[in-house]
Amino acid sequence: MMGQVHIVDDDEAIRDALHWLFTSREVPAAAYESAEAFLDVWSESMAGCLLLDIRMDGMSGLELFDRLREHGCRLPVIFLTGHGDVPAAVSALKKGARDFVEKPFNDNDLVDRVIEALALDAEQRARDAGQASLAARLATLTQRERQVMDLVIAGKLNKVIADDLGISMRTVEVHRAHVFEKMGVKTAVELARLLATA
Amino acid sequence: MKLGLGTLGLGTPGLGTRGWGNRGAVHAMPIVAMALVVVLLGVFLWVLDRNEREEEAHALIKDILWVEQNLRFQLASDVDKLEHLAETLGREGGDALALAPVTRHVVTTNPAIEQILWIDADGRTVAAMPPVAGEGNGATPRGEAFKVARSLGRRVYGAPYRLPQSGSGFDVVIPVFGARGFVGALVGVFSIDAILANHVPWWFAQRYQLEILNADGTLLGAKSHLAVAEPRRSHTLAFDPPGRGLTLVATVYQTDSNVTRNILVAAIFALTASALWSLWAVRRHIRGRVKAERALRQEHAFRKAMEDSLTAGMRARDLEGRITYVNPAFCRMVGWPAEELIGRGPPMPYWPPEEMGRCEDVFRSVMAGRAPPEGFELRFMRRDGERFDALVYEAPLIDAGGRQAGWMASVLDITERKRAADLARQQQERLQQTARLITMGEMASTLAHELNQPLSAIASYSTGCLNRLHAGPCSAAELAPPLEKLANQARRAGQIIRRVHDFVRKREPNVAAVNLTAIIEDSVALLASDARKHGVRITVQGDIDGPGGTPPVLADRILVQQVLLNLMRNAIEAMAHAPRESRELGVAVEVHEDLVTTRIRDRGCGIAPEVAEKLFSPFFTTKTEGMGMGLNICRSIVEHHKGRLWYEGNPGGGTTFLFTLPVAP
Repeated sequence: MMGQVHIVDDDEAIRDALHWLFTSREVPAAAYESAEAFLDVWSESMAGCLLLDIRMDGMSGLELFDRLREHGCRLPVIFLTGHGDVPAAVSALKKGARDFVEKPFNDNDLVDRVIEALALDAEQRARDAGQASLAARLATLTQRERQVMDLVIAGKLNKVIADDLGISMRTVEVHRAHVFEKMGVKTAVELARLLATA
Repeated sequence: MKLGLGTLGLGTPGLGTRGWGNRGAVHAMPIVAMALVVVLLGVFLWVLDRNEREEEAHALIKDILWVEQNLRFQLASDVDKLEHLAETLGREGGDALALAPVTRHVVTTNPAIEQILWIDADGRTVAAMPPVAGEGNGATPRGEAFKVARSLGRRVYGAPYRLPQSGSGFDVVIPVFGARGFVGALVGVFSIDAILANHVPWWFAQRYQLEILNADGTLLGAKSHLAVAEPRRSHTLAFDPPGRGLTLVATVYQTDSNVTRNILVAAIFALTASALWSLWAVRRHIRGRVKAERALRQEHAFRKAMEDSLTAGMRARDLEGRITYVNPAFCRMVGWPAEELIGRGPPMPYWPPEEMGRCEDVFRSVMAGRAPPEGFELRFMRRDGERFDALVYEAPLIDAGGRQAGWMASVLDITERKRAADLARQQQERLQQTARLITMGEMASTLAHELNQPLSAIASYSTGCLNRLHAGPCSAAELAPPLEKLANQARRAGQIIRRVHDFVRKREPNVAAVNLTAIIEDSVALLASDARKHGVRITVQGDIDGPGGTPPVLADRILVQQVLLNLMRNAIEAMAHAPRESRELGVAVEVHEDLVTTRIRDRGCGIAPEVAEKLFSPFFTTKTEGMGMGLNICRSIVEHHKGRLWYEGNPGGGTTFLFTLPVAP
């Protein structure tokens, strides 16, 4: 399920034209006439990507970007810039903006980039969801099982783990089996990959 | 400039140098003539006088001769009577007494005979008639004469002597011979005074003083004793018959003719003197005239030199418009010599054919006395056909009598000045043009952004349409709205380009009635992206949308826009460091009678006093990249439109720039 592209531009024509452009590629779009108008409807659960005009009456695109970052918004942001605003756009990139497009832009290229951003957002959201389940599984592990898992991931053999923890090799094997079961993996490699993504 | 030309024509140049050579002779002539007249008069009078004197001398001689003759005749007659008496006496035998009555008769009838004496042969006085009062006058020379008469036997005149009564006299001794020879002598005593008194006629006495002198010059008797004032002409004649060297002297009295002559001479001399005086007076007058003439000539020469050295052309015309005078500068200007211009009436030879109508109009209005006192410009033609611009001032020419005699014009060749002014204007325009280009250059990036907006929109609309078409069949109803919007955006882009192009393209200034509101709107549109970049809000307020709107102003559209853009950009930049919420640029228009005032208000930092005094100076700027010509150009543009540009501090901070423009009539 693809999110929406949120267009924030104070130029009505640009807003309308971009809306038409995205609609023509069947990208759902919503337009806002100012940064303030967007902030009014923004919530943390909002999905999609943000297309921001850098220069606007009232709050500028960069200010809105900063404000959203403060609120923990992680929507991918693409800046629309004029010729003279490139330095500002570059500093925005350093702060974590996804991209900037200079006007006049290659429209379908812009749409492509927006689609990419939307996909990224979707993936990120999915990954976020996955990480949430991993954390839940980790929470089911006992103290001893967590210790054993850490040492397994460190690549230690059962015998070494038994020596380190001062328990029998048999006990180690039982804990290991529980960890694999609780984490939903079959091998130590899978477990390591799962934890590495977190 | 008014010059009394009437007086200038008086002196004829050249007279001076030619006249001076003969001047001495001319001046000496009357004096010489007068001297000659005086000399001739003198000579004439002298000749007259000499003639008169000669005549007088002749008359004197004639008269004295006549008198002498007369005296002599009278004397002779008296002596004859005495001789007759003596003869009678001799015949009677010497009886004197018998003859007494005869003797008395002789003495009384002949006044010259003072006394008759009878002297006997011995020389004694026997009788006397009249009788002698006292005897014994032996001092008389009678005795000697008696002796001579007795010895000669004929009458003898005695020497003169003093008579006892008065005066002088002399004796005539006549010997008397009787039958017996000499018996005595009869002595007649003649008184000289009596002779003179009785025998000199009155008219002679009136003219001459007659004197009888002794041989030694002693006066014996005179007709009159009037003293002759000064020695006059006299004539001396021997009065000899009585003998003894008597002389008769006649002296001329002052004559009447002398007085008239003297009066005449005096009159002549007085007249001569008055003639000389009048000559001197005339000469003095002439000298004064010459002096005045010289002064006039000098003055004339000075005026002439002044007129000749003037670089302004001068032309006098009479009331009919014919040229009566031109100065050399005017001749140089038009290339025609003065003699070919003087007397000419319209059309003048220096009126170019293509300007003939206008020249005639101006000529008519000058003749009607409607010449503008501030002068008027005309295009004239030189003889070689070259045209030049002339600034002409016409003024009435008033003659010495206070009447208007014509029109005086001073003509200035302002071709060069005009060319310089044109050049300056062109430079000013070029400067303004350059300033506009610089403004646009400075605004280029924001203008590019401004232009990017519609271009981006156009691209998006068209891409969207293409996307739709590529995706499959779609309806016209679906594509029409975006295409319309696309067209709008194309117009919007065109508008921006038009504004920029209008603003920077080279053009002739065109002052006309323009809509200030439209200019402000254009300016705001041009600045919109600039303002957005700086976070400045632009508000336009005032009479713009009021009832009737703002009246059109008399101005050049682009120049006013240049002023507006400049002031608005300054205002935007002035607010760069102001808090974002107060960055507001207000443009307001007010109408006061025939002036429209535009206010551009910012909420910036205001103008520091040390900046204020140099604010409008050229090349003064507070910006790092500014040229410093902006406000200077703005002010010159506004003043060129007969308006005013100034600024005021805002009560709440910031500055308001104001400029006025005249409402179009």
